[in-house]
Amino acid sequence: MNTTLIAIGAGIAVLTGIGAGVGIGIATSKATEAVARQPEAEGKITKLLLLGSALAEATAIYGFVIGLLIIILLS
Amino acid sequence: MGNLGEALREELNCESALTIGGIGISESVVVTWIIMAVVLVLSLILTRNLKVEHPGKRQLLLEQAVTSLEGITEGILGPEGKQYAAYLTSVLLYLGIANLIGIFGFKPPTKDMNVTAALAIMSIILIEYAGIHRKGVKRWFKSFAEPIALIAPINVLELVIKPLSLCMRLFGNVLGAFVIMELIEYIVPVGVPVVFSMYFDIFDGLIQAYVFVFLTGLFMKEAME
Repeated sequence: MNTTLIAIGAGIAVLTGIGAGVGIGIATSKATEAVARQPEAEGKITKLLLLGSALAEATAIYGFVIGLLIIILLS
Repeated sequence: MGNLGEALREELNCESALTIGGIGISESVVVTWIIMAVVLVLSLILTRNLKVEHPGKRQLLLEQAVTSLEGITEGILGPEGKQYAAYLTSVLLYLGIANLIGIFGFKPPTKDMNVTAALAIMSIILIEYAGIHRKGVKRWFKSFAEPIALIAPINVLELVIKPLSLCMRLFGNVLGAFVIMELIEYIVPVGVPVVFSMYFDIFDGLIQAYVFVFLTGLFMKEAME
């Protein structure tokens, strides 16, 4: 029973990945559009895309760290 | 479930590899020493007999590598922050090697949260130093109340949030990649891990090293404005 609850808790914590996935998806789609419109600005766009992806990804990483801590500290 | 928890806890624990004078030296420190030794020896060997005229192949390659690496950090910092580019380039080099060293069978030092925390604290100190150096103490204090005085508490909180997120991002990414690789190796021990290792060990490691340096440089640029 106890391990089941821990597993459910860790699973819920990792749901933060949804937000990061949607965010990075939107950022990438817009970046592709921007490059298609202005191929000469590709370098700058790539840099900005990388920054945005890193920031969006941080939420997923926090969820992962929390999930890990739940498994490690409670089990 | 219990097994996985045990294995994860084992990975998170940074056990001491050796003790010197009663002080435990953890494995990440030893691996960092190895990286330091390799970089030091390489730089000593590569910088011997540099010539202004008729440079050899080795010198040309070295100049190309150094210029492109410094170009990355100088591009982030802009012309105003050129004096900090050397530090950021060193951090980029160290993180790049540290994230890739897992390939050679060492434990990556960035998988130890203490290492990433130390790097993040150094980053925030440098960010604030850059701000104070450029603006002076008075204008630096005033900059907390920008653009309006109402958000001053949030700006003060950022002093903690910035290094925390830098630290957690690097640590979580490296550890996450490591855990996923362990799971893949547990399910399919042959063949498949090589493909995933390309992404998780090499690509992700280099991207995270770049992101760490990029964000530090961006915050510094912001602090200097």
